[in-house]
Amino acid sequence: MNKHKGAGSSLPHHLLRRFGPLAGLLLLCAVLAVLSDHFLTFDNLVNVFRQSAVNALLALGQLVVIVTAGIDLSVGSILGFCCVLVALLVKSGVPAGLAIPLSLAAGTALGACNGVLLTKLKLPHPFIPTLGMMNVARGLALVISGGFPISELPPGVRFFGAGAVLGIPAPVLVVVLFCVLFHLFLTRTTPGRDIYAIGGNAQAARLSGVPVDGRLNAVYALSGFMSAVAAIVLAGRMNSGFPLAGAGAELDSIAAVIIGGASFFGGVGSVGGALVGALIMGVLRNGLNLLDVSAYWQTVVIGVVIVAAVWVDVLRQRASRRIGE
Amino acid sequence: MRQRGVGIPACRAGNRGDTRARVSPRGGTRQARVLTPLLILLAACGHSDRKKTIDIAVVVKALDSEFWQRLKNGAEQAARAQPDVKLAVLAPEREINIDQQVSILEDQILKRISALAVAPAGVAEILPVLDKAKGAGIPVIVLDTDIDWPSKLCYIGTDNRLGGRMAGEYIANRLGGRGKVAVIRGVLGVRTHEERLAGFQQALAAAPAIRCVAVQPANSERAQGMSVMENLLTTHPDLRAVFATNDQMALGAMEAVAAHKLEAQISIVGFDATREAVRAVETGRLAAVVAQNPERMGRAAVDEAVRAAKHEPVDKRVDTGTALVTQENAARFLK
Repeated sequence: MNKHKGAGSSLPHHLLRRFGPLAGLLLLCAVLAVLSDHFLTFDNLVNVFRQSAVNALLALGQLVVIVTAGIDLSVGSILGFCCVLVALLVKSGVPAGLAIPLSLAAGTALGACNGVLLTKLKLPHPFIPTLGMMNVARGLALVISGGFPISELPPGVRFFGAGAVLGIPAPVLVVVLFCVLFHLFLTRTTPGRDIYAIGGNAQAARLSGVPVDGRLNAVYALSGFMSAVAAIVLAGRMNSGFPLAGAGAELDSIAAVIIGGASFFGGVGSVGGALVGALIMGVLRNGLNLLDVSAYWQTVVIGVVIVAAVWVDVLRQRASRRIGE
Repeated sequence: MRQRGVGIPACRAGNRGDTRARVSPRGGTRQARVLTPLLILLAACGHSDRKKTIDIAVVVKALDSEFWQRLKNGAEQAARAQPDVKLAVLAPEREINIDQQVSILEDQILKRISALAVAPAGVAEILPVLDKAKGAGIPVIVLDTDIDWPSKLCYIGTDNRLGGRMAGEYIANRLGGRGKVAVIRGVLGVRTHEERLAGFQQALAAAPAIRCVAVQPANSERAQGMSVMENLLTTHPDLRAVFATNDQMALGAMEAVAAHKLEAQISIVGFDATREAVRAVETGRLAAVVAQNPERMGRAAVDEAVRAAKHEPVDKRVDTGTALVTQENAARFLK
């Protein structure tokens, strides 16, 4: 009896959660395809993927953080810092093959600082350390660059933003690679499952033997690492390391994760969802660009979409609770 | 027991995430099913819709200030005069959002527009996408901020170095050749601001008793201009003049100076001559502003772009003019 009820309530609920964001993306694509005859072309779809790549990479890091019921406000600034760092390194003669790993390490280290501040200093909420890091990393980016963009990067860095393999843009390949890795990590490994457990109930996870602090440190380091990955893609795409890179990107990445069906309360969220969320934002921007709609209206629309996505989630939860009763 | 009981549902959430991520391939076939009829429909529309219009895109750095709005008006005016021209004026949200400008350009290039006029938000960051425009056979006109890009057809804009020099000479005169001055400048590395600064410093070189004590960036934004000015007033209370490389920052600086009741001591010179700034010059709250002619810039952008689209000869360089607005002649700029 009980089991029956459970299945009945979880089926539509389950479907909505699984297909909700994707259905939204498809609907959006259909509408844009009708409105603009440039939208559904191969070149444009490649464009959308390329333009969404940086946000998608940041969203993967942000996803892991949000699944633990945390938030990382520093991803845009760490991106800015690493973007400048990789450009400075290659400009000072360090080969790209070394400059890139060094920048990835720097991003990871800054992210790990967030984790340590949270778990060792026991700051009350991840908002605080990552807000601090948001300012510190942006400031450092401005300091090491003197405020100037560092442009004309060598092919080794440019490849990740502007190159292509068999006609597929390198940034798209980077996104696909990390999506697969993150998906496997979150679903097939013990640390990945622990992350969901921490988000579901940190206290319970701790009592059942999950090394919560260690996992949290790793989660924030991972988010820093993804910011650095995004930084290299962006530097390559723009042929420049500019200190204001990624200004506001933290909010875009949070929006992508939330639109993709993750819960701010933790424990829920998937790689596919975050990717779809980033694509929804990218498709919206691209479609509105094609329709010559001003960037200001784009911001309005994205704001509405974020609220609508969460509202649908609230409705869904309320409905499933009602069925449960 | 209890511990595991709570832990397990949380883990199951992980599995749920897992299944959801696997949706995409299925979504793909679905997409194809939905989109194929749409594609056919679109192809049909495309045929019936074929007209001989000239699509021009003018992509500027932002539309959040009067300068860009006036440029937009000028462009729209020119486009209205030519019925076969379809114009889009687009910009990122803020001048610092270079990557957003790049995305806008990519999307316009994809539409195979007839010609493109762009005010580059970043002088180097934008070059790869301009190369793409060239690859797509779209003529590119550079607007407002000049760049070293060999394929540009034309540069339309103010002689910024001259404008900066006019500001410098005016301040040197006003101070009687001595005193401390400071510069509040726009985004570092952007050539318009570099040139205005260089022109200003060149003018000051002729007045050795004037010392430029600080050059601080405020990203062309008003609020930042105000806070930078507040800091300058703290460090240099004996400051006599400030040159802001755009009006927004000048107006912000003006507020800070007014809050400290130092209007009599400090002369502020701006750049752009927006209506608000010119009114402030008229009432004596700003000492002067260097006027650009954004309407003319917008008109020239569309006119030259149309010529380029029609493969007619295009002027290599269009100087849209510079003038100094002071209290005496301010009324003329407000007409």
